[in-house]
Amino acid sequence: MEGKIVVVTSGKGGVGKSTATANLGTALAMEGKRVAVVDMDIGLRNLDVILGLENRIVFTIVDAVKGKCKIKQAAIKDRRIENLYLIPASQSDNKDVLKPEEMVRFSKQLRSEFDVVLMDCPAGIERGFENAVAAADEAIVICTPEVSSVRDADRVIGLLFSRSITPRLVVNRIVPDMVARGDMLSHEDVLEVLSIELLGLVPMDEQVIISTNTGTPLVMQKGSKAGEAFKRIAMRMNGQPDIPIEVPGARKSFWKKLGLTLTRNR
Amino acid sequence: MQLKGIGNNLTVLLDPEQPVDDLKRELQRIFDPLKHMSANAHIVLDTGDSEKHEDLVRELGGFLKEHYRIGTVAEPLREREHANAKDWLRQKEMDGGPFGRNSDVLMMTGLVRSGQKINARKHFLLLGDLNPGGEVVAGGDILILGSLRGKAIAGHPDNEGALILAMDFRPIQIRIGGLVAAGLPPSKGKTVEFAHVLNGAIVVDDYVKANPFGGLPWPEIR
Repeated sequence: MEGKIVVVTSGKGGVGKSTATANLGTALAMEGKRVAVVDMDIGLRNLDVILGLENRIVFTIVDAVKGKCKIKQAAIKDRRIENLYLIPASQSDNKDVLKPEEMVRFSKQLRSEFDVVLMDCPAGIERGFENAVAAADEAIVICTPEVSSVRDADRVIGLLFSRSITPRLVVNRIVPDMVARGDMLSHEDVLEVLSIELLGLVPMDEQVIISTNTGTPLVMQKGSKAGEAFKRIAMRMNGQPDIPIEVPGARKSFWKKLGLTLTRNR
Repeated sequence: MQLKGIGNNLTVLLDPEQPVDDLKRELQRIFDPLKHMSANAHIVLDTGDSEKHEDLVRELGGFLKEHYRIGTVAEPLREREHANAKDWLRQKEMDGGPFGRNSDVLMMTGLVRSGQKINARKHFLLLGDLNPGGEVVAGGDILILGSLRGKAIAGHPDNEGALILAMDFRPIQIRIGGLVAAGLPPSKGKTVEFAHVLNGAIVVDDYVKANPFGGLPWPEIR
């Protein structure tokens, strides 16, 4: 069976594209899929650090696309998780070394090698974005509950639709307490503006920073809220679309709820 | 089908999907009143998409030359082949033509997302939302049956009689004629509100309460 190429994009930088790519890729591989995560952020590579594979890079995506090496040589196999491969970005080139047509050609090979290919798209909507989106079958738009992030996601969604790709949305970094106080957009507010299919909600989690620094994806640790959320998203992507979307922080203990109502009524 | 003057040429916009006989009838309708002017004219037949319709153009060209003594007939010069014909058509649709230009009202459905811009020659009616970062420019009124959260420019460039109406009125900026209003106070709820010019300033009112056209003796064309 041919694999599918999923681009993870957002428009705005720093909303958690690379974190999401690393975690979704890991979770999908843990479910038994043959997964490649591809870092398309040429010149500013990050994904290798998040996955803890920094010291094993020999060839990069630029080498593979230009035919200087085979896909199998560029794809770094994760030693902890079977079936997970990273194709790293080159750090010394810039985004203009690749062309969208080359990516389309390269993606054909990727589809035959892997079940799922996750493309970590760079911020912006210029050449880097075009390269990442050129051959994508599906798209995941990552967005945080901030007005600026929603604006950029909206722009990107428009661009994806114009390429006949139907994107799905992941709202990242939700702080339930701030939403409850009305200081942060809720995921309903975000959906009202973007109006596309929701794939998942991910709460803010300090563990993300720790996992990035240590190079172990969150989904490999037990008990991490964001990790669990990413796991469920991966399951939804992997043929179980009916898994309910859990709203972060919706569960409160009875006594806390009572306390809140009492203080409010006072 | 419609006729346009572009540069030194006359361009005929036509739909290549229609049967040839219908197209010929349409051509007759357009060119009959122009018979006295059409001699030796240079006509461009624009089929509006990126596919070549050489046979159709040749056929219609022959027809025009025979009946109206047209000088030359050609397909439009394509500065660049549109890689994605769909994109191009969509953009053309958004710019208000060729389909919208016949009517005073450009009516569209869907979401106008960030970065998208729609130009309407006169009135613009949207069944859907105008998102932050999106923009609509209309020569006349702008009516949005949905949320207005972006930028709406009505009465462009100098018609201060235009109005902007939305079911949920939360624009980033609105302009009517040459006037600009930004930083409007947030509206109370999802009531239908509209902006219009009153004594040289943009004012936003509840549409049902203000009933701006209630004083008219009979319905007028706007």
